[in-house]
Amino acid sequence: MSAQQTSLPDADAPMDTQRRTALIATCAVGGAGVIAAAAPFVMSFSPSERAKAAGAPVEFDVSTVPPGEMRKTEWRGKPIWILHRTPEMLQQLAAEVDRLADPESQRTAYPTPAYALKDPNLRSIKPEYLVVIGICTHLGCSPSGPFPAGSSPQLGADPGFVCPCHGSTFDLAGRVFKNKPAPDNLEVPPYKYVSDTVVVIGDDSKTG
Amino acid sequence: MALHETQYKGLLGWFDARMPSAMGAFRTHMSEYYAPKNFNFWYFFGSLALVVLVIQIVTGIFLVMHYKPDAAQAFASVEYIMREVPGGWFIRYMHSTGASFFFIVVYLHMFRGLLYGSYRAPRELVWIFGCVIFLCLMGEAFFGYLLPWGQMSYWGAQVIVNLFSAIPLIGPDLSLFIRGDYVVGDATLNRFFAFHACAIPLVLLGLVVAHVFALHDVGSNNPDGVEIKEQKGKDGRPLDGIPFHPYYSVHDVMGLGVFFILFFAVLFLAPEMGGYFLEWNNFIPADPLQTPLHIAPVWYFTPYYSILRAITSDFMIWLALGVVALAVLIYFSVSRRTIGAAVLALALVAAVLMKMPGIAFDPKLWGVILMGGSVLVFFALPWLDLAPNKSMRYRPGWHLGLLCAFAVVFLVMGYLGTLPPTPVRTGFAQIGTLLYFAFFLLMPWWSRMGSFKPVPSRVTFAAH
Amino acid sequence: MNRTLAPLFLIAALAFGASPAGAEEVAMDHWPSERAHDLGALQSGARTFANYCLNCHSANLMRWNRLHDIGLDDRQIKDFLIFGSQKVGDLMTISMNPKDAKAWFGKVPPDLSLITRARTSDEHAGTDYIYTLLRGYYRDRSSPTGWNNVAYPNIAMPNIFWEQGPREATLTRVDEEAPADGKDKPALVRVVSVYDSAGKVKATRTELEHGDPSFDYSFKPADEKAAKAVDEQVADLVAYLAWMSEPAGPSRVRIGVWALIFLGLFTVVAWRLNAAYWKDVK
Repeated sequence: MSAQQTSLPDADAPMDTQRRTALIATCAVGGAGVIAAAAPFVMSFSPSERAKAAGAPVEFDVSTVPPGEMRKTEWRGKPIWILHRTPEMLQQLAAEVDRLADPESQRTAYPTPAYALKDPNLRSIKPEYLVVIGICTHLGCSPSGPFPAGSSPQLGADPGFVCPCHGSTFDLAGRVFKNKPAPDNLEVPPYKYVSDTVVVIGDDSKTG
Repeated sequence: MALHETQYKGLLGWFDARMPSAMGAFRTHMSEYYAPKNFNFWYFFGSLALVVLVIQIVTGIFLVMHYKPDAAQAFASVEYIMREVPGGWFIRYMHSTGASFFFIVVYLHMFRGLLYGSYRAPRELVWIFGCVIFLCLMGEAFFGYLLPWGQMSYWGAQVIVNLFSAIPLIGPDLSLFIRGDYVVGDATLNRFFAFHACAIPLVLLGLVVAHVFALHDVGSNNPDGVEIKEQKGKDGRPLDGIPFHPYYSVHDVMGLGVFFILFFAVLFLAPEMGGYFLEWNNFIPADPLQTPLHIAPVWYFTPYYSILRAITSDFMIWLALGVVALAVLIYFSVSRRTIGAAVLALALVAAVLMKMPGIAFDPKLWGVILMGGSVLVFFALPWLDLAPNKSMRYRPGWHLGLLCAFAVVFLVMGYLGTLPPTPVRTGFAQIGTLLYFAFFLLMPWWSRMGSFKPVPSRVTFAAH
Repeated sequence: MNRTLAPLFLIAALAFGASPAGAEEVAMDHWPSERAHDLGALQSGARTFANYCLNCHSANLMRWNRLHDIGLDDRQIKDFLIFGSQKVGDLMTISMNPKDAKAWFGKVPPDLSLITRARTSDEHAGTDYIYTLLRGYYRDRSSPTGWNNVAYPNIAMPNIFWEQGPREATLTRVDEEAPADGKDKPALVRVVSVYDSAGKVKATRTELEHGDPSFDYSFKPADEKAAKAVDEQVADLVAYLAWMSEPAGPSRVRIGVWALIFLGLFTVVAWRLNAAYWKDVK
């Protein structure tokens, strides 16, 4: 056995090409492997089947709501209001336009779906039934109501909803009145009719 | 300005001028740590153990995001991970496969130590840290196994915690204290979860750092048992040393590739491994009113479990004789007769106590003592091995034969531990127990016997 | 060293093989495992499961919409499989109260989400066990329910697949019995019991000189076609139960093949990297 030092390439010399090629190849293949291995970990953050099931669309039969009254249901933890508007209520909606902050529902924070804007004064698919999320667009309280015309000092002569937290008011199409803390109209959830009387909230796809 | 001088440029230079200990550590432990150039197959398992530790911690963190440590929800939460969390089954199988592979890698890592005398001076402390890591690993596995809350989880924990009740005087109260309840229950699950997910991983990380630092302070051993620091060149570096980085970092990446092929083959194609890695009974939710027909610990504990079960009242006489024989051997070996006489007297007293009704410990308690002893005896190895050479390569061939026989006994005892006991199997386990302890306790004598080959001053290495 | 070790290993193997004395379990039928990959079998099994099992047994860890994996869509699941008011995103729970179940059957019917994995043992595969159990009923006047089962003696579960039709069962047991007075060796006894389709038994007992403990059975159905139809139905059901115990199973194997090919490639590249560095170490 020689008394020599183990011979190694000079540390300061440029890297030999075989080493460089092998290093690049290993890093490329290894990098791909790391990404593939990381994928399940990253995916595990997405909503699980349990979360998706809890957030699944909800069906509601609108024929259970008597005229002039409102029923509530829940979708993704949020209150959903279904209000059966009488013809008098519907007429009233066009007359309030100059007292509303966004009468045409043009603001983009909570965009109103096109299928609910065929008549911007109604904000619903079927004129009689309003379907909105009952959460005030100011800071998230659930407004009270519906109050008939003249029964609430905050609403004055208009019928509508009043939020108890900071006093925002909304009409019977969910539109916010001017000069109130809430900037936007009440959000219209994705929904569609699957029969004449049954509405599915949370799903507005054309199929199925 | 009080900035440090730095050899590095750019962002690295900026960092190094302000925290030179970072790159200093890289140099000390990687690029200027001179390791022997003749490492072989047995030297992969240290870095692999570190990789498995990282795998267990990372997969553990992601599992804790979805697991519920509550007796009413734990079992269902594991299946929730398997079925409903995207990618959850992969994370769970990584953790369960990782647990078994951790023990495979660690046992092979320890075997390397026995092959090449890695526990000998000046590396006794490295070995002791390693033994403490092994104890913590066994605890970590035991606490973790309760978490799925299956039948095996529950009854395995019940049996092991009840072992503590065998301790005289304080036993039953100690078991109650450990459990936090009259039987293994929600209180036990919550504290075991705290140990498994938080306390022991932190302790393990600290111990692994200590283990590696203690090694790097004295330098690595090698298959020839040659101390490379005794032959240094003009520049002060060992003649047979090569910098760990890049030579061994690259070498260990290759080892990792082979390891991952085996690891992922099991994970994707046979994660249950015939019921050894994921036990069948653990797919049944824990039922405190119904014990499964056949409880056994997980495979990596079975050799010690075999020893526990082998200690029966009939066996006590053989143990007593063994203790007396050892005492006689010590008596005739030590130079000072008084020490010898004292040892002999103690051994005779112990032997009598083992059999005397009223004072004697239960075989059950001796089982616990010997099971504990079978793990603790590893700590004593640096002082039991008195051979003039470190490595099996330069020792008489029959020394390696004894070591291999010990390995076979260990594996056979492990296999016996998975089976229900019969009189014949218990007999074999008893023989195995005697051989196991004989290997260690007679080592001061057999390690000095035979003709030793001369150890070279330079390592044996073929360029490749 | 090897010459002395080898006979020791042989003795060890023989010794370890002998099981503790006790009742032998029956030699299980083999479930036709190729059905595990047959979508048609899995769907048929799902239908049998929903119709026959999912009223006493729950599958609380399994969600209805996971059945998409075996080729069923929401409409099919809702129309053909869900009988109550559950939605397709719900878990397969049942309305039977466990306390009532215990009172009615003596034992709460176990949840089936993991059943084939849970019933596997060193002696048999869970699939074989359940395949044998569901088809292994025979009439037995001496049992509390009037029925018995070759895979699970004195089972509390009723015979769900009685549409097999009446059958004659022949059970052959070979057991070791404690030595009789005056003898020192345990006796090896074979008992052949024939149960007719009304549950009356005729047993014949013979002492054997050689043999091992065993338990075999055979059935003679009165209606071959009906019995075969039940065999098919149960085979599909077991395929479904095996899939339900690990719905990620098929994708696990599929992804695994690709992962291992990739790892082989990585190891070759890493090996060449190692060679590129170590060629310089002399």
